[in-house]
Amino acid sequence: MSKYAYFPGCSLASSSMEYDTSFRLVAREFGIELQELDDWNCCGASPAPHHWVEVLGVLLAARNLHIAGAGEAPLVAPCAGCYNRLKHAQYKLERNQELRRQTSEVLGEEVRYQTEVLNIVKMLNREIKPGALAERARERLAGVRLAPYYGCLLVRPAEVIGYDDPRDPKKMEPLLRATGAEVPHFALKSECCGSYMGLARKEIVLRASHRIIEAAVAAGIDALVTACPLCQQNLDLRQGQINRAFGTSFRLPVLYFSQAIGLALGASPEELGIDSLAVEPDVDRWLKGAA
Amino acid sequence: MIEAAKTIRAGEEMLAEIERRSGQDVSSCYQCGTCSSTCTATLAFDYPPHLFMRLLQLGLVERALASRTAQMCYDCMTCSSRCPVGIDVADVIETTKNIADESGRSRPPKEVALFRRLFLRNVCRHGRLHEAGLLAWYNIKSGQFFNDLSLVPLVLRKKKVHLVPPRIRQRRELRRIFRQAKTKPGAK
Ligand code: SF4
Ligand code: SF4
Repeated sequence: MSKYAYFPGCSLASSSMEYDTSFRLVAREFGIELQELDDWNCCGASPAPHHWVEVLGVLLAARNLHIAGAGEAPLVAPCAGCYNRLKHAQYKLERNQELRRQTSEVLGEEVRYQTEVLNIVKMLNREIKPGALAERARERLAGVRLAPYYGCLLVRPAEVIGYDDPRDPKKMEPLLRATGAEVPHFALKSECCGSYMGLARKEIVLRASHRIIEAAVAAGIDALVTACPLCQQNLDLRQGQINRAFGTSFRLPVLYFSQAIGLALGASPEELGIDSLAVEPDVDRWLKGAA
Repeated sequence: MIEAAKTIRAGEEMLAEIERRSGQDVSSCYQCGTCSSTCTATLAFDYPPHLFMRLLQLGLVERALASRTAQMCYDCMTCSSRCPVGIDVADVIETTKNIADESGRSRPPKEVALFRRLFLRNVCRHGRLHEAGLLAWYNIKSGQFFNDLSLVPLVLRKKKVHLVPPRIRQRRELRRIFRQAKTKPGAK
């Protein structure tokens, strides 16, 4: 049985609880053991990598790497933002001795930063063979058009992430196909949703996210599938604001990767926190379509 | 004339500094505009990314340093992944921003600075982000009391909020981390 240290991060612990719930469910279904990282702290998230805060971002992430380094298991961070910060810190620590020294000084011992860090896509691709998923899914999502939306933090910058293509990522596809769903090409799959500007510069987020939703609807996509809580919230929670700003009436569900897989496994929408999405998909219709 | 020569020299030196720190060759940009066509932040910029590159090429580095582009780019790196020459445009902008910041040449717009400051204070106190607290403080401090208020009923109905802040045990270690970062900045 595979074992992972699990870094939920602030979003999965609060506003994106459905991502946490569905991720744990999928892990359980495939016999993967998740041990929540003890006393983890905020990864530093978006504002931390700026200016003096550049060092702060590394130190915050490093404390988590250090805790994980005490164990043997690799670290999985389903939130694309947290994953990006953890990988970034690792990259910097690897290359900068002075930063390593500073970090060790704050932690009071030699920093352990080399634990393998995985995002949800890499981890599930490693643990679940598409064939095994397909066998259990029995084409449950047949006829549903699910398009992966990767955004930025999951795949960029390539020299830090080193997994999937930064411009034309594809690694969600094999498992999504195994659910029985149709997985069309989505041209804007690695465009930016507007990032963390939702409070300070809302018009940026509304415009960027509107563009993505509009393109998905035009392509006849039933739902987007993401691995990033920030993208999910910009596209889903703010969809009402987008509709008001642009005079549109889109109702495009934006699911987490683990929710899509969970549905294919036959888990109920409640177990997967589907009802926590602002725009809820009509799951019954999806499942009936396949039956 | 001599003044002009000095300005040109200073611009060249700063450009060399930006190229050295970012590891990018600014002169290899051929102004195709791909970066700007993909950038979602241009409405907050004064120069879209390809013009930002052009400013640097022309030695108008001071303008780039003082630009809103340098301050508002959120480093999504979409431009970098699309550039046909392989220039890491985001890194060029980020490096320019860092230099502007170190030399006090420009500041982020006040709402953005406020958001970053409150975010970090929130994390410094609790070790984890308390999203509801961040929103409340942001609205109070910025005077935009109704910002995102339309989301509140939705967020409550979908149970997406904790009213009590989450806390980690080792908060003292957290404060050490913040102190260290503040007193010893610039370890690049
Ligand atoms: S995409 Fe690259 S080459 Fe084209 S304008 Fe932007 S930086 Fe220059
Ligand atoms: S990194 Fe900055 S300039 Fe490049 S696309 Fe993103 S916001 Fe625009």
